Amino acid sequence: MTQSTQAGLLEPAPGSDDAGPRARVRPVGGGRRVLRALAPLPWLMPATGLILFVVIWPVVSMFLTSRQHFDSMGFDQGSAGWGNFTRLFDEPDLPGVLMRTVIWVVAVVGLTILISLGVAQMFNKQFPGRKFARWMLIAPWAASVVMTSIVFKWMLNPSNGTILVLMHDLGFMKDYNSVNWLSQQTPAFIWEIVVAIFVSVPFTTYALLAGLQAVPEDVYEACRLDGAGAVRTYWSITLPLLRPALLVAALINIMNVFNSFPIIYEMTGGGPGNQTSTTTLFMYNTQQTSIGEAAAMSVVNFGFIIVVVLLFLRASRWNSAED
Amino acid sequence: MKRRLLALTAIGVAGALSLSACSSSSTGSGSGSTGGNVTIKLLAADYGTAGTSNSTQSYWQGLADTFHKSHPNITVQVQTIAWTNWAQVATMIQDKQYPDILEGDAPQQFAADGLLYKLTDVMSANTVSNLIPVFAKQEDGTDGTAYGAPFTTSARGLFYNKKLFAAAKIANPPKTWADIQADATKIKALGGGNIGYGLPLGPEEAQGESYLWMLGNGGGYVDSTGKYAINQPANIETFNFLNTLIKSGATEPGPASTNRQQMWDAFSAGQVGMVGGSGALIPDIVKNGKLTTSDYGVVPMPGKSAPLTQTLGVHDDVVAFKQAGHADQIKQFLDFVYSDANQISFDQEYDLLPATTSASAALSAKDPVAAGFLQNVPNSVVYPSNTNWNTVLAKLKQTLGTAASDNASSVLGSLQTFATSNQ
Amino acid sequence: MTTLTAPATPAAPAAKARPPRRLPPLRTVALAGGAYLIGVVFLLPYLEMVVTAIRPGNELHDRNLFPAHPTLSSFTDIWSTGLGTNLGTSLEIAFGSTALVLLVAIPAAYYTARRNFRGKGIFLLLVLITQMFQPTAMIVGIYQQFVQFNMIDSIWSLILVNAGFNMAFAVWILNAYFSAIPKEIEEAAIVDGCSRIGAMFRVILPLASPGIVTALIFTFIAAWNEFIVALTLTTQAGPRTLTVKISNFVGEYATDWQHLFAASVIATIPVIILFALIEGKVASGLTAGSVK
Repeated sequence: MTQSTQAGLLEPAPGSDDAGPRARVRPVGGGRRVLRALAPLPWLMPATGLILFVVIWPVVSMFLTSRQHFDSMGFDQGSAGWGNFTRLFDEPDLPGVLMRTVIWVVAVVGLTILISLGVAQMFNKQFPGRKFARWMLIAPWAASVVMTSIVFKWMLNPSNGTILVLMHDLGFMKDYNSVNWLSQQTPAFIWEIVVAIFVSVPFTTYALLAGLQAVPEDVYEACRLDGAGAVRTYWSITLPLLRPALLVAALINIMNVFNSFPIIYEMTGGGPGNQTSTTTLFMYNTQQTSIGEAAAMSVVNFGFIIVVVLLFLRASRWNSAED
Repeated sequence: MKRRLLALTAIGVAGALSLSACSSSSTGSGSGSTGGNVTIKLLAADYGTAGTSNSTQSYWQGLADTFHKSHPNITVQVQTIAWTNWAQVATMIQDKQYPDILEGDAPQQFAADGLLYKLTDVMSANTVSNLIPVFAKQEDGTDGTAYGAPFTTSARGLFYNKKLFAAAKIANPPKTWADIQADATKIKALGGGNIGYGLPLGPEEAQGESYLWMLGNGGGYVDSTGKYAINQPANIETFNFLNTLIKSGATEPGPASTNRQQMWDAFSAGQVGMVGGSGALIPDIVKNGKLTTSDYGVVPMPGKSAPLTQTLGVHDDVVAFKQAGHADQIKQFLDFVYSDANQISFDQEYDLLPATTSASAALSAKDPVAAGFLQNVPNSVVYPSNTNWNTVLAKLKQTLGTAASDNASSVLGSLQTFATSNQ
Repeated sequence: MTTLTAPATPAAPAAKARPPRRLPPLRTVALAGGAYLIGVVFLLPYLEMVVTAIRPGNELHDRNLFPAHPTLSSFTDIWSTGLGTNLGTSLEIAFGSTALVLLVAIPAAYYTARRNFRGKGIFLLLVLITQMFQPTAMIVGIYQQFVQFNMIDSIWSLILVNAGFNMAFAVWILNAYFSAIPKEIEEAAIVDGCSRIGAMFRVILPLASPGIVTALIFTFIAAWNEFIVALTLTTQAGPRTLTVKISNFVGEYATDWQHLFAASVIATIPVIILFALIEGKVASGLTAGSVK
C-alpha cells in the first residue's frame, strides 16, 4: 500500500487538504465552491457509476431479498421480517460452517505464503533456464479455477483416478474403490485446501519475487561482511524488506480465498450434507431450499467482509507506523 | 461431420430469425390478443449436450419451426437450460420473467402461487385423456384440478453385469436385499477393484436411489394419506440396512458423495456388478464400448424379501404460465407437441419414455428395449406431489445420503421436521 | 527505498548490472533441479487434462497412466460444436472488460493519487469493499437489472459486469503506482509545454506501465474465467462464453470427459501465451508500486 492510499483510507478528513477547507471556510464565490466540489466528478464518475450500477444495485437487492419470503421456485410470498435471519441462526450446520470458513482462510492463506516464500527464494537465484522454470508456474494462475478443481476431482476418482492408479502401481493401495477421500469430511476438506493452495501459490510467488528483486544487493553484501549466517540474514534483512510485498500478497489472497466458490463446489459441493461447506457454499446450498435465507447468509457474509477490510486497514496502519 | 455442421448453422440461423422475430413482436405482445402475431416463450430442460445437434434446443426449435409453418401467426421462442444449471429457472421466476410454457418442473408449487393455467385451458380434451393415467393424476393441485401434464417419463430397473456375475459364479440375478448383499460381496471378492453394488446417494439423485430401497421395505416419503412420513420405521430400517451394506464393503466407498453419473460411468466401464438404472444408461454403455448387449441384463429392483412389483416411474412435466395470456396459442402448440411422432422422436433421442398412451403403444411396437421398460409403466410408483415437494426434494438431495450411516433416525427425523415445517 | 527505481527497473537489467555471483556448480544443479521439479508439479494436473483429452472414449475409465491408443480426435471434432464462436465471444468479453476497466480506473486512480478532496476516503473504501464481493451471491439482482434494460444475450452486459467486479483491483494497484511517481516529474513536463492530460499520457502512463499491465492481466483472467454471470445473462441462442460451453459437457447422465478437457486445454492456452509475453512486467508490477 502507498502512503496516499493509506492516508486516504485512514484519515478520511484530510487536514492537509489544500482545496477542501478553504472552499468550506470562505463562503464567497459560491459558484467556485460548487465547481471545486464537482472537480473530482469527471475523474471519478465513470468508476463510481460502474460500481453503483454493477455492484451496489445487486447488493441492495440482496438486502431486500433477505427480508422477503420466497418459495423454492422463486415466487415472492411477501415479507418475512427477520424470519430468514432467525432461521439461518437456527441452522444446526451454521456453527460448523463458520468455523470451517475461518480454518479455510487461515490455513490456505498461511500455507500459501509459507510455501511461496520458499519457492520465491529458490526462483530468485540464478540458474540456467530460470525464465522457463518460472513460466511453468503460470498454468495454475492462468487456468480457470473451475477446470483445475474438476481435474483434481477426476484424478481422485476412486475407480480410476490417476492419483489412485499411481498409488496402486507403487503398492501403496491394494485395491481400487477402497477409498474415496472426497466423501469423508476431513480428507475432503484437506484436499480442497491443497487445491486452493495450489492455485494461489503461483501468483503469491510472483508477488514475493517482485519484492525480493527490489532488495538491493549491497544490503546482503554488508550483512555478509558482518559475518551474519544465512538464516539470520533471511530473518533480519530479507523478511522485513519483503513486508510490503507480503502485505499485498496476503490481502489479495484473503479476498480470493474468503470468497472462493468453485473449488469446494466442484470437488464436494460442500457435502456430504454440509460437512465441507464454507459460508459461500452454505449460501449456495441454502438457496436451493430457501432463497431468502440464502440472502440472509449473504448479508452475514457481507458483515464478515467489512470486518476483514477493517482488520486489514489496521494491519497496514501498523505497517506504516513502524516505518 | 459436415452434415452436423450444416445442421448447426441451420439451427443458428433459425435461432437468429426467431430471436429477431421475437424482439420485434415482443414489444407489441399486448396487442397479440387482437389476432396479430403472437410469440410464446418456451423454457425447457436440456437432456442432451447443449451447443451440439444432440441438444434439446434442436428438438424444440425443430418443432417450433414446423409449427410456425402451419400456424404462421404463432412464433415459439425456445430457450433450454441444462439440468445442471436448473437453478437459473428460480432466478428467472424470482425476477418475474415467466415463460409461457415450462418443461421440467412439477406444477404444484407454481399452482399454489396462482401462476398457472389449468391444464384443460391449454390442452385439448383428446390430448389430456391420452396422458398415461398414473402420471396424469400426479398433476393435481390442492384443489383437485390438474395444472400440468407429464411430458417425458422413465422407469427404473436393476442393471447387472453378466460377465462379473459369471466370474463370481452367481447363477441368477438378485431378488432380495440378502441376494444383493451376497452377490455384491462375491463380486467384490473377485479382486481387481470392482464395485459390487453401485449405490449413488450423492446430491445428484439421492432421492431416486433411496426411494427404490424404501419401496423394497414398504416405506416411502409419504404415508397412505399423502402426509410426509420420511422417518417412518420402515425407512429407518432401510437405511440401517444400507449402512451395513456399505460397511461390509459391498458398495463403492463413500456413497453419500457419489453421484449417479459416476456409478453409471463405472458400470459402463465394466467395473460395477449391479446398479439401478433407466434406459438412459444404455447410450452410456454403448459409448464406453466395454459391454455388449449380451453382457448386461435388466431385472426389477430387489426388495427386502421379494422384487418390487411396481417400478419407480419418474416424469418431467409441462406447465403453462398465465401472465402473458396466451392460452389459445399454447393450446395449439401443446396439442402439436403431444402428437405421437413428436413424443417418440424426443424419447428415442434421449432414451426416455413417452407420456401418452398412444405414443407408448407405438414405441413398444418398434423398440423392444423401450417396450421392456414400458410394460411396467402403467403400474409404477411415483414421487409425492405435495405442494412443497420441490423444496423438500432440494433438501433431500443434499442430506438424504448421510442417512446411510449410524445416525439414520436423526437424519431422517430432521428431514421430516424440515418437510412438515416448510409447508 | 527510493520511490521510482523499483517500478521503473524490471528485474533482469538489475541482475545484469551487478557482477554475476557464481554458485558452485553442484549447488546450481541441485537448485535448477529443485526448481524444475516444482515447475513440473504445478504442471501435472494440466498434463492430466491433456492425457484425458487424448484418450479414446472406450479407454476413458482404464486404470493406466497413459492411454494405449491415444487420439487427437477430441481436439479436432470439438470445433464442430461451435467452439470457435465461443472462443471469439470469450475473447471479445475479456478484451472489452479489460479495456473498460483501464478506461475508468486510470482517471480515478490518477485523481485519487494526486489530489486530496472530500469523500476520497469513502471512495477508496467503496472500491476496496467491492473487490471482496462475489457475483455468485448477487446473481438474482444482476439478472433483474439486465432484464430491465433488455440486455440479456448482449455481450455488453457481460463486459459491464466483469469490469464492475474487477475494477477495484485496478484502481487500487494503479493508485499505488501513480502515488509512487514524484509530482516533480509531471510538473517538469508541464513546464516543458505539455498540458496536464498530455503529461499524463507522455510521462505518467509509461512510468506506470508495469502497474497497468498487472491490472490488465488480472482483469483479463477474471473475465476469461467468469462463469455464473455469463451463464445467467445469456441464453443458448445468444453469445455463450467458453466457460459456459465447457460446462455443457457435464451432462445429466454422463460427462463427456475427453471433450471437457480438450476444450479446457484450448481455453487455457491463450491466457498462458498472454502471460508468458508480459511475465516480467507482471512480476514487478504486483508489488513495486507499494515499495516506498
